Amino acid sequence: MATLLILLPLAIIMVLNLPFKDAFKRAAPFLGGCFYLLQAALVVFHPAAFWDDIYNPLEAFFAFECSTDALSLVLFLSIAIVGFVAVLVGAHALKNPRQRFFLINLLLLATVGMNANVMVTDLFSTYVFLEVTAVASFILIAMMKGEGALEGAFKYIILSVIASVMMLLSLALLVLVTGQTSFEAVRAGLGASPESLFVKMAMILFVCGLFVKGGVVPFHAWVPDVYASAPSFVSVFLAGIVTKVSGVYILMRLLVSVFGFEASVQQVIMFVGALSIVVGALAALAQRDFKRMLAYSSISQVGYIVLALGCGTPLAVAGAAFHLFNHAVFKSLLFVNAQGVEERCGTTHMEMVSGLGSRMPVTGWTSVIALLSTAGVPPLAGFWSKLLIIMALLNASRYGYAAVALFSSVLTLAYFLSMQRRMFFGKPHKGMENIREAGPVIVGVEIILAGITVGAGLLYPLVLEYFILPVQRVVG
Amino acid sequence: MQMPVLWVPIAIPLLAAAALLSVPRRFLFAKEAVSLFAAALNLVAAWTLFGKEAVYAAPWAGLGAEFSLRLYHFSGFIMLAAACFGFFVLVYSVVFMRGKDHARSFFVFFLVSLSLTNGAVLADNLIVLLFFWEGLLLTLFGMIAIGRPQAFRTATKAFIIVGICDLCMMLGIGLAGHLAGTLAISAIRLPLDALGGLAFVLLVIGAISKAGSMPFHSWIPDAAEDAPLPFMAILPASLEKLLGIYFLARISLDMFRLTPASWASPFLMVIGCITIVAAVMMALIQKDYKRLLSYHAISQAGYMILGIGTCLPVGIIGGLFHMINHALYKTCLFLTGGSVERQAGTTNLEGLGGLARKMPATFACFLVAAASISGVPPFNGFFSKEMVYEAALERNFLFYLAAAAGSFFTAASFLKLGHAAFLGPLRQELKSVRETAWPMLLPMLTIAGICVFFGVNNSWPLEHLIRPVLGPLSAAGHGSPGVPGEHMLVTAVILLGAFLNHVAGAAMAGSGLKAIDHIYRAPVLSGIYEKAQRKVFDPYVAGMKIAENFAKFSAAVDRKMDVFYDKGIVAAITAAGHRLGRLHTGNYSTYIIWAVAGMLLALVFVAG
Repeated sequence: MATLLILLPLAIIMVLNLPFKDAFKRAAPFLGGCFYLLQAALVVFHPAAFWDDIYNPLEAFFAFECSTDALSLVLFLSIAIVGFVAVLVGAHALKNPRQRFFLINLLLLATVGMNANVMVTDLFSTYVFLEVTAVASFILIAMMKGEGALEGAFKYIILSVIASVMMLLSLALLVLVTGQTSFEAVRAGLGASPESLFVKMAMILFVCGLFVKGGVVPFHAWVPDVYASAPSFVSVFLAGIVTKVSGVYILMRLLVSVFGFEASVQQVIMFVGALSIVVGALAALAQRDFKRMLAYSSISQVGYIVLALGCGTPLAVAGAAFHLFNHAVFKSLLFVNAQGVEERCGTTHMEMVSGLGSRMPVTGWTSVIALLSTAGVPPLAGFWSKLLIIMALLNASRYGYAAVALFSSVLTLAYFLSMQRRMFFGKPHKGMENIREAGPVIVGVEIILAGITVGAGLLYPLVLEYFILPVQRVVG
Repeated sequence: MQMPVLWVPIAIPLLAAAALLSVPRRFLFAKEAVSLFAAALNLVAAWTLFGKEAVYAAPWAGLGAEFSLRLYHFSGFIMLAAACFGFFVLVYSVVFMRGKDHARSFFVFFLVSLSLTNGAVLADNLIVLLFFWEGLLLTLFGMIAIGRPQAFRTATKAFIIVGICDLCMMLGIGLAGHLAGTLAISAIRLPLDALGGLAFVLLVIGAISKAGSMPFHSWIPDAAEDAPLPFMAILPASLEKLLGIYFLARISLDMFRLTPASWASPFLMVIGCITIVAAVMMALIQKDYKRLLSYHAISQAGYMILGIGTCLPVGIIGGLFHMINHALYKTCLFLTGGSVERQAGTTNLEGLGGLARKMPATFACFLVAAASISGVPPFNGFFSKEMVYEAALERNFLFYLAAAAGSFFTAASFLKLGHAAFLGPLRQELKSVRETAWPMLLPMLTIAGICVFFGVNNSWPLEHLIRPVLGPLSAAGHGSPGVPGEHMLVTAVILLGAFLNHVAGAAMAGSGLKAIDHIYRAPVLSGIYEKAQRKVFDPYVAGMKIAENFAKFSAAVDRKMDVFYDKGIVAAITAAGHRLGRLHTGNYSTYIIWAVAGMLLALVFVAG
């Protein structure tokens, strides 16, 4: 039944595109929102009948292997939250019903790809669904047809293609060695020939492809251009979940279920992660545009997840998964803030807006919560995930990396506080005295996301019980 | 054996102080009534507990800091003495503080001081002792600060000096506790080796600074002028002397078991002698009633330290006897000073004179107390000093010489004081001065009476109060009671010399106040005096100068570090950020090169 999470959005897309009247098509945002709510509810209430039986009704002509575990649940929840937010904010921002309709279709299509990627247990299927997500994302970025957005989408396509080449090459090598593509078979095949240079190269090629998808230094260069030039509600979706699933989650899944933690690959991953943390944070300090700063911040935060992943202990992977979830929440929140600011002020350039805190109190305060969570200030959720990551690094005797992770938090706080000071604190610029708070949809979404961040931080014992320990068991 | 009754002397004054704070201001005499009642009750409690033995222990802060109290002869004696002085000075203060600002604060501080003193005396654990001891620092500060408007500076000075000494004591306590493995005072036995010696010196600093010895004395003369007078009578003159010497005796006799052969004995004796001579020389030239007395309060502490430092039973008994005697006559002297201040409106000797005719009872008290402090037989000070002399002479002639010189100058300065304040022609503006009120007179007369009693009947206090402190030591037959007669002749000569010196000086200068000017103008002394008056020798002033320079230096370093953090690091990070930002040119071919290069590097790393 869990495969319904792939088939249901596909079915919605099909039904929406039947030649019905436009009135029906206007219900698209409603349908999309309902789907994401359903997905979230399925994860939270966890009906055993739904999750335990992996049944694929389309097996006859489109066969792929699926399975779910605690790690997948985390991702389903993240996808549901970010997708729901993107639907709400997008539908609010786009006044043209046709554009809304396109948006919902594309979001659902990307969700098909992501949900499938979370579940499939086959390397080739993984690749296929990655491309599904990627294609939907290209169009999402470019759909407003702005010059920058088109350029960003183009860069994304080019680098994605390079990633595809790497992954396909890797797949070819793996098939050469093992003759199979399913996770179990490949794992068994790799186990038969450990220490083979061939295998190592195949692994590293796949990992590099995923690095491009996830936007990790030095494979990251498309990220700032895309996030900054795409409409904010698309950036919510891309930064919040798309790159996390297609880059980070698949890396996580492959390492845990297929490749295992090979020492030299681990070293590459950790180094790249640490590099991302530092470079992303430093570059973010120099930015003058809110969305561009958020993009670099994303690079830096993905660095944390990748670094923890490279560490490879069960605790580290659980910390990485928790940080992925937290990042999905607080980065979405910040991009929603950006959407609110962009709507009211027409720009997100930090030198052109100021003193918004008094004019847009909810946006200002939720932004503070999000940035504190990002920087890892207790008792917010981001603190716990960073704590787990640093503890795991220390336990694994990776002191240098632990120090990098710790001190980069200071940089995180530095760039976000300077952003907050410029945009929200202080006196409003001339001509900004009459700015009003963002619309009720934006404000509502901001409050929900801030509530999740605060709640996950305060209810950490529950999170630990139902979330971190199960993930740890998946790895260990 | 648990005896919670030991809480009583700590609780009574403390509860009274709390009650005092909650009594509305408009109830007339409520604060006086409550304070008097509490002091009387405290006296009764101390009297009841005196001579008994009891212990009380309760778990407290952990790490060996048990809340343990111990009542035995010595602590009971000190507590009784403190309660007596507390009661007398309080009776006196009731009149003295009437109509003054901060009267209520004064009484609160007074009662809290009594409570803390009782606690410190009873404490049988070094941490508990420190707790009460440090508490006294606060009341000390508070009582000075409520004096004259400019008293706050003096209060700060006292706080810093005493606080630093208490800090030394804290270190000493830590060290002693570490070395001995226990914090129970009655269980600590330490040798005087390198670390033990350090602990000893640190603890002694705490004890003698409380007693007001040099070089930790310099706040006392300032406080004499700035603080309300009963403060001087109760804290520096009696309670602090009692506590400081009590603790010094505990350190020397119980914790370290000093013997005459150890280095600590001359160490203490040298401190004592320096204190005696230097402080009395300063007292000699003072032109203010209270300030002059305060220097004597310092000087007399030297006799007690010298006596205990000799490590001979007769010296120790003399030192302890001198402690109680000093508390008696010095309190009495300060109280006469307060009477003069209240009736004549000033304590500046240049504005006084001939008061004996107007205030005969006060003058009588002054005479008795001054004779006691100068060591005139048969008053109490004579006997205790004689015992200290005897012990000092047995150790070394030099110590005896210093003590005897101290006596000479003490006598000289009191002759000057009495002459200047009470004798001579009555000044015009003092014609209307009357005798002081009886509630103020009564404590003075009582204390003066005790002075006489302890002198004439000196075997009573020695037998009942002092000698049991030494316990087995005195049982060994040391220390003949009463009059060590062989030096009486020397003492008589000294006193006669002082009198002749005064008469001659007064005749030369034409007034009692200037009777010692020939000493002041003596060739070498005048230079030293001139420097001392400029506070060149005040360790506080020197310390503050060092502290100021250090503060300036630290501030300069801090500036530089600020620049480093605020400018240096920020500039470096921002520059790095901008450089990274500029690398992102937007040129996708560059980006592709990065990605491919990254992949190749990773491949090379894994392959290699």
